[in-house]
Amino acid sequence: MKLLTHNMLTSHVRGVRPGGGFPLRIQATEVKVNSVDFNQEFVARMIPKVEWGALVEAAESLGHLSDLPPQLPPEYQSNEDFLRKVHHVLLEVEVMEGVLKCPDSGREFPITKGIPNMLLSEEET
Amino acid sequence: MEKEASQLEKDHVHSVYEKIAPYFRDSRYKAWPKVQQFLSDQEPGSLIADIGCGNGKYLHINSQTYKLGCDYCFPLVESARNDGHEVMVCHNLCLPYRNECFDAVLSIAVIHHFSTQKRRMRAIKEMARILRVGGQIMIYVWAMEQKRRKFEKQDVFVPWNPSPPSWTLGNTCSCGIQKSIHQKNKSLALNQHSTKLAGALKAHRKVRSSSFSGEKETRHNLFEKSVRWSLFSRSLDSESDLNNQWHQGELNTFCSCSIQLDELNREELFEETRTGDFMKHISNVSLRCRRNSEDNASDMAVESGSSMLFCPGPFKKLTIEQQLEIDYHPKQDTDNDCAMATKNKQKQRNPNAACLRYYHVFKEGELVELIEHHVPELHVIHSYFDHANWCVIAEKIQVWKI
Repeated sequence: MKLLTHNMLTSHVRGVRPGGGFPLRIQATEVKVNSVDFNQEFVARMIPKVEWGALVEAAESLGHLSDLPPQLPPEYQSNEDFLRKVHHVLLEVEVMEGVLKCPDSGREFPITKGIPNMLLSEEET
Repeated sequence: MEKEASQLEKDHVHSVYEKIAPYFRDSRYKAWPKVQQFLSDQEPGSLIADIGCGNGKYLHINSQTYKLGCDYCFPLVESARNDGHEVMVCHNLCLPYRNECFDAVLSIAVIHHFSTQKRRMRAIKEMARILRVGGQIMIYVWAMEQKRRKFEKQDVFVPWNPSPPSWTLGNTCSCGIQKSIHQKNKSLALNQHSTKLAGALKAHRKVRSSSFSGEKETRHNLFEKSVRWSLFSRSLDSESDLNNQWHQGELNTFCSCSIQLDELNREELFEETRTGDFMKHISNVSLRCRRNSEDNASDMAVESGSSMLFCPGPFKKLTIEQQLEIDYHPKQDTDNDCAMATKNKQKQRNPNAACLRYYHVFKEGELVELIEHHVPELHVIHSYFDHANWCVIAEKIQVWKI
């Protein structure tokens, strides 16, 4: 699971406050770094779709903060150095094994072989 | 009703895909041009969710976008993952995504697996939730109106056939059954009557080879018209069913792909029977076989081998003695090509039944109507028929609440 994927994920366990299921906390037991071709335009276009705070928090929790600032810098679109760091965090860092934990309910979702299992039982929905 | 619907989908959608997933890798696949076009039309940097991605066959299209696949079936998702795609396991009715975070959503051959209208509507609403305003969703569902397959009802069960047939058009039916019986890597569990069927089919082939000298197409059409396997098909949506809840026993019977074949018990009959008579005798039973054509292979909503069974009559007509259970064990590798299953197992759940996939086939206009009446946040911009599916492209619009 890449951190760009993680940034879209939220928990919908019954009883969670509206918006309370995001962002899921990552407890990783295996993290992998894969090399992905850098595409500046792609990264620049992706940033507005990302919840920045959640991305920074996730990267930090995995020890891959990569000097990302807590706030988005102005005019980042032309800042290649910055975009390369974002590229690395969004697309190259992957959680292979571990769990995602709902910040509100504490419900854990396992990640196996890089695949999060987000299934809820019928009682939980 | 919700429980029954959910159970039906567990038994006849989820567990089937679990079983057949290993056979998807070599499935005949050709990206449908219109789906490919939809993905290619998305702007660079788009976030796309493929809901029900299966083994990820659409996830490689348009490398300028980020695609996130999901499916209920872990083995299929795992296969997509092994191809380098980003995927997860979840349920269409409860997608684990933030509101409005995707630029486009793809739903190919998924909604027809939900067994009530309410659930189909909820599945579409859930996908609309994760789509941003201005973003587009593409939905494909299997059509009731198909050139090659005739459905008598909208709620049908489609048996899965592990390997695509490779026989010629003229051999379609008998080979279809023959293949079912003799194919390696699976066994066919039949009750005692099945021997009769096998014998009957051999007899039929023998008769056919001598008596059929006409055009292949004629033979084919004749057989298509005449050979009928019957299988139950009931809608969980229909009012009569609301007062007539499915009991487990009925469901088991229903699940067991029971076929009214009492006439087939008399093998001699077939030995003597000319082809035309054979067809008359077997006329309660309907069978559709896959044909050996590129087009046919590509117009299945789900591209695994498949033939279709449906039931024109009420199951009450059937007695246990009349039932013939035909099922595949795709995972089982056995030299016994044909396994005989003895009776008095009627009380037991038939494990093989899981190889029947449930479909709600859509009538023309039904998908558009469902969206327009129940999902006001989606605006249908294009609807069309493609590869035996009804298809919609819709855009998420801002719905102002007063």
